[in-house]
Amino acid sequence: MKHIQLKLIHIVKVFVILTMLFLTTACWSSREIEDLRAYLGIGIDVADETKFEKEVNMLGGHYPKKNILTATVQVVPGVYGRSDQSQNTGSQTPETFFNEKLTGDSIFQIFRQFSLRRDRPIIGHHLKVVVVSRALCEKYGLEKILDFFLRDNDIRPSALILISQEKAMDVLSSSQPGEIPALNLKGLVNNRHRTNRILPPVSLSRLEAYMQSKRSFILQNVITAENEIKFSGAAIFKGEANQWIGQLNQTDLESISYISGTAKGGVLKTYDPENGQSIVYEVKSADSVITPKVEGDKISFHVSMRTTGEIMEDWSEPDRLVDEDYMNKLTTLFKKQCQKQIDETLYKLQNKYRVDVVEFGNQLRIDHPKVWNRVKDHWDEVFSTAPITYDLEVDITDYGSAIH
Amino acid sequence: MSNHPKDEISTVQAAVIIISYMLGAGVLTLPRTTAQAARTPDVWISVIVAAVLVILAGLIIVHLGRRFPGRTFFEFTREIVGKWIAFPLVITVIGYFLVISAFETRVMAEVTSLYLLEGTPMWAIIMVFMWIGFYLMNGGINSMARLFEVILPITLIIFVIIILLSLKVFEFDNLRPVLGSGVMPVLKGIKPSFLSYAGYEILLVLLAFMNKPSKGNKALILGTCVPLGVYLLTLVMVIGGLSVDGVISRTWPTLDLMRSFEMQGLLFERFESLLLVIWIMQMFATFTITHYAASLGLAQLFKGKLTLFLLILLPINYIIMMLPKDVNTVFSMGDFLGNCSLVLFGGIPLLLLIVSVLRKKGVKPK
Repeated sequence: MKHIQLKLIHIVKVFVILTMLFLTTACWSSREIEDLRAYLGIGIDVADETKFEKEVNMLGGHYPKKNILTATVQVVPGVYGRSDQSQNTGSQTPETFFNEKLTGDSIFQIFRQFSLRRDRPIIGHHLKVVVVSRALCEKYGLEKILDFFLRDNDIRPSALILISQEKAMDVLSSSQPGEIPALNLKGLVNNRHRTNRILPPVSLSRLEAYMQSKRSFILQNVITAENEIKFSGAAIFKGEANQWIGQLNQTDLESISYISGTAKGGVLKTYDPENGQSIVYEVKSADSVITPKVEGDKISFHVSMRTTGEIMEDWSEPDRLVDEDYMNKLTTLFKKQCQKQIDETLYKLQNKYRVDVVEFGNQLRIDHPKVWNRVKDHWDEVFSTAPITYDLEVDITDYGSAIH
Repeated sequence: MSNHPKDEISTVQAAVIIISYMLGAGVLTLPRTTAQAARTPDVWISVIVAAVLVILAGLIIVHLGRRFPGRTFFEFTREIVGKWIAFPLVITVIGYFLVISAFETRVMAEVTSLYLLEGTPMWAIIMVFMWIGFYLMNGGINSMARLFEVILPITLIIFVIIILLSLKVFEFDNLRPVLGSGVMPVLKGIKPSFLSYAGYEILLVLLAFMNKPSKGNKALILGTCVPLGVYLLTLVMVIGGLSVDGVISRTWPTLDLMRSFEMQGLLFERFESLLLVIWIMQMFATFTITHYAASLGLAQLFKGKLTLFLLILLPINYIIMMLPKDVNTVFSMGDFLGNCSLVLFGGIPLLLLIVSVLRKKGVKPK
């Protein structure tokens, strides 16, 4: 009897273990990557219903919503056989990406609407770029527009934020076959060692910090023409409301890179006053120290800037041997040019837009925390009346491989 | 020499258990909780001050425990203050261990289902956790110590490497100014730091298992300094990378720091999953050690078999864990635990020590 009982227990044990095997081998709620699509870029515009949507609405496919924005979602991989450019190869090559546009008043709902149209679900883990159109930013604060992106747990806070001067959906279209516009945009910010007309990249997490601190800030601006894009200047957002208030141009960005010492490369061009020919200097590095001065209630700033670089092109006197004299002349010329740019930019910031987007406030916060706590709620106003002085040093360390 | 090894641990093992207990959910939320309280980047000072206070409180516990060699808090309290006071006190401490165990598992489940296993029901994640934990706990404190000795170095090495990768987004200005608003913010930051140091109280139990209880102080100091290092590194890197304003609004700031950058050209581009995976091991350690302590307490109080109480507490643990309806309630549970820990292990051991000296209970440690 006991023998049989033991045997029974043994069988039950084996059975339990075998059943458990079924539980251990599976991946819960796994989804095959082949069955998914990832969105790499998103463009957000003021509502502009597409022809498809208008027709669908006429046929009764409308759901309760206000038309506030149109989201363009850049999805990879593309759809087979959709490509128009593949005729020359003969074979059916897939389009590298496709853009979907839908209108509504909630970005999340718009995303879910895609599931009514495409078989493969789109996932947000690989979002690289969010482009918001200037027109929408003038109407709504960025905090509202981007709220979904900051909440969603798939989307990484490393995604880049850009502002498009015209339509965001155009920024995400490209005429280059094989190129994915979202990746191109993401890659462009790596060119900061070539030009100081690109702002240091602002990711979602950095933007969140900006918005939480209620300070004013600038974001990279993109313009489109003829189906091509170009980084150009920056959009200014004012504190509290996070709304678009104006724009800085490319030269302003150069000035800002000198003032904040963030330039990693770039071109400084001036003209010889005698013959009007261009002379070009390549910025290799820049350094700056912003010193806030507080006397009673008066806050002022002094900025010491220094840039080093080399002469890269000289149309004025290409044959001239470089000597002390000529070097001094060039240094003065470049310095003058640089000062002119910086003066223009500071004037624009202090008198036209009246916002601090160059970290002056940040330096005050660090050096005089008590004073900062007193003025931080109306910092932009205080900044716009604060006197700013600066000294600038332009170092020419080299003149390329040409000795003359 | 007997064939059955005694369930005994060395000084280093004791330290490893304390470290593994302390390192848990705290690392993922510490930057936010402290920054919310202090609103300045000085919170790293708060963490240092908190560590010193924790060591002081721990010294009292060690001193108390050494008066009763080979016996745990659950056993000797009765001798000090008598049955009627000891019973509710011991039950409260058992409850504390149980709730902290539930809290830690719940946080693990919340984070896992948010970032790693979206769609897997929480009970499935927890079930695996609990059964493996049960298997481990059944092996006794020595097996647990041995496992922790294996996972701790792995955790620390991987953690330091990946948190240093975030130097890519690190900005020193975010950590300045030091003491810009005086010492008040630092003081405010101390309290939220305490929950992340919850763990030294395990010495109430651990000391009885140590082969050299006289080295209890050493285990305590080592056990507090390693988490201090981890917390300092975390705070400096997270606040340096995201800034105080950026940290306050993020639910899991440490994970968000890892999500704020991508590395190109390395084997992996993204590191948050890796951080999470190694961190789950630490949460597992915290879960097992606290669950074990609670079960041991009950077993000693009611003189029953440990395995039985380990099993009985599993469903109770699960129910406590599922009580908070959302993540905010989970966090208030954490705050509550921090307060409890402050009262239970900051004040009571000192009182017990005084009473035991006055009533001449226990032996005077050499």
